[in-house]
Amino acid sequence: MKADTSQFPELDKTKFEQRGTEFKLGIPVTNAVTVGNSIAVGFGDGTVRIFTSGESSEPIKAHKGIVLCMSKDGDNILTGGDDGRFLKISLDGKISEIGNFGTRWVDHVTANNGSLVCSSGNIVYLWSPNHKEPKLFEHNSTIGGIAFDAKGRRLAVSRYGGVTLWKKDYSNKWNSSELNWKGSHNKVIFSPDGKYLVTSMQENQLHFWRLKDKIDSAMSGYGAKIKSFAFVDDSKYLATSGAKEAVCWPFDGDGPVGREPICLPYVGNKLVTFVEPFPNENAILTGLSDGSVFLSEIEKASNTIIIRSFTEFEVSAIAVTKDCSHLLIGDMGGNILWTSIWDEEKK
Amino acid sequence: MEETNKQVPVTVLTGFLGAGKTTLLNRILTEQHGKKYAVIVNEFGEQGIDNDLVVDADEEVFEMNNGCICCTVRGDLIRILSGLMKRANKLDAIIVETTGLADPAPVAQTFFVDQDVADRTKLDAIVTVADAVHLSTQLTDHHEAEEQIAFADVVLLNKIDLVDEGGLEVVKERIKKINPFAKIINTTKCGVSLNEILNLDAFSLKRVLDVEPDFLTSDHDHEHDDDVTSLSFVSDTPLDMEKFQDWFSKLLQTKGQDILRTKGILDFTGESDRYVFQGVHMLMDASPMGKWPEGKERSSRLVFIGRNLESMNLKEGFENCKSA
Repeated sequence: MKADTSQFPELDKTKFEQRGTEFKLGIPVTNAVTVGNSIAVGFGDGTVRIFTSGESSEPIKAHKGIVLCMSKDGDNILTGGDDGRFLKISLDGKISEIGNFGTRWVDHVTANNGSLVCSSGNIVYLWSPNHKEPKLFEHNSTIGGIAFDAKGRRLAVSRYGGVTLWKKDYSNKWNSSELNWKGSHNKVIFSPDGKYLVTSMQENQLHFWRLKDKIDSAMSGYGAKIKSFAFVDDSKYLATSGAKEAVCWPFDGDGPVGREPICLPYVGNKLVTFVEPFPNENAILTGLSDGSVFLSEIEKASNTIIIRSFTEFEVSAIAVTKDCSHLLIGDMGGNILWTSIWDEEKK
Repeated sequence: MEETNKQVPVTVLTGFLGAGKTTLLNRILTEQHGKKYAVIVNEFGEQGIDNDLVVDADEEVFEMNNGCICCTVRGDLIRILSGLMKRANKLDAIIVETTGLADPAPVAQTFFVDQDVADRTKLDAIVTVADAVHLSTQLTDHHEAEEQIAFADVVLLNKIDLVDEGGLEVVKERIKKINPFAKIINTTKCGVSLNEILNLDAFSLKRVLDVEPDFLTSDHDHEHDDDVTSLSFVSDTPLDMEKFQDWFSKLLQTKGQDILRTKGILDFTGESDRYVFQGVHMLMDASPMGKWPEGKERSSRLVFIGRNLESMNLKEGFENCKSA
């Protein structure tokens, strides 16, 4: 693997591109996940690469076709693929198979306190630590997304018609309740403070529930499907893709009802395809459909800097290492930028 | 760059259990063509598909909240097609097999409604495999069989060696009455050359221009109200665009559930371009498609396939659109 930077003249490069390493792999980047001070990247040819400062990254042949989803369990990477396999991969590249569903895809993976979870079709499978056989949670339609709350006592499963909320009681028994809203729900997340649950829908909108009183509402007005959204600065804002601005909804106080979102504009007027919170800051990394990436302070849009210039391919992954020293950007054209964030780290 | 932006063609394969879908699939997959196909099958389908890229689907039909009363899409297809588009090795085509009892409309509508699917893939054609021996009974007993014929771009009339010539003609007449566009191909054991069923681009507006529907003289003898039939209209008098749009949009809004497919080429007063459209229920693709060919008569042609067409006063509505 070597960096080929011949296509971009030196002058157009951002300082991050100049001091980082660019890889032109030509394989769509499907996912990236932070594992400590490393970042694992999943690709559309079934491989996974691990980026760590000062080390080279070789492809690990994980799945046959596509790495559909990624998460982490402690220092291990979890992946699901179109070969029906649910895998655990260590940072040194050792692969162990947790589950195998044949021609059924593994669409979503997550973990909590050593429990490994995936979904395939309409069933969520949960492997408790030291259990060989998974526990099955069945739903009435294919699962759009899965998420644990911060404490790991609640597991949200989005589906057609709403979200099923599984709650573990103190005898470790799981009980379900339903949050219904017409339509097909895809990705689901909890707010870090556990107060809200948010889903993206097949329609160009988001839906949220305030969990203490089950009040729910839609967040709409988007021009495209919202594929990427995340809470920023604990739970103060929900940053979202799907528009030509990064739309950030306020979730402090009484939540977003009746309040206007902050919209962060970017040059070029392109669709925002990826948002990633910058750790411990009220700021986001925003990836656009032309491959460019910006870092913005939510409450001070004038404090926006360009991280990567355009590549012509939509940004499909952004991740920051736990120590905030490095970040990685990946796009659907297989271009990766791996760079240190702070100048003093320049070699 | 162009290669990656190319839309992958998707062929939808419908037909009742036992008609020969699996035979056809295996024929497509094993022929020496050097192409990479993905096959999306359903869990109740026949087994034994010989391909290294088989994906299991659930035929989940979702209602959309887009205000379109009959707008349903196939959620599993959105998920799987979006996933397949992330593959490093591009596919030459995708084949979607549906069960015998599936309504093809949600499959077709998925390609109109979901932006990601529409950006990266295109519906190439709906190919219906029909059993020449049993089709007549199936059409009488199951409305799904009628829909599969109504939506078809190609009907592969299979097992013709098991019916006599007279019987074959009866079945063909029945197919044409439901769907005058569909190309009927007679086969035994699905022996058909692949270029007759793949890469047809049947849903492009350009192809609408090439289709010369087999206009039939209407006869309404023994039809039930809920039989699927077709009606076609021709006019040499140019149409008034405003009147047409008014009539047609109201028609689709109120009767879209009964109108399965429409196609047409329109000659509007004062317009030098031909207007072409094609639709599935209430969803519609329409666009001017260049100048009328010189030296040829301009005329408007319109075809409807659906149920209860007689009750919609289509002839009167169409006549009223003519420019005064």
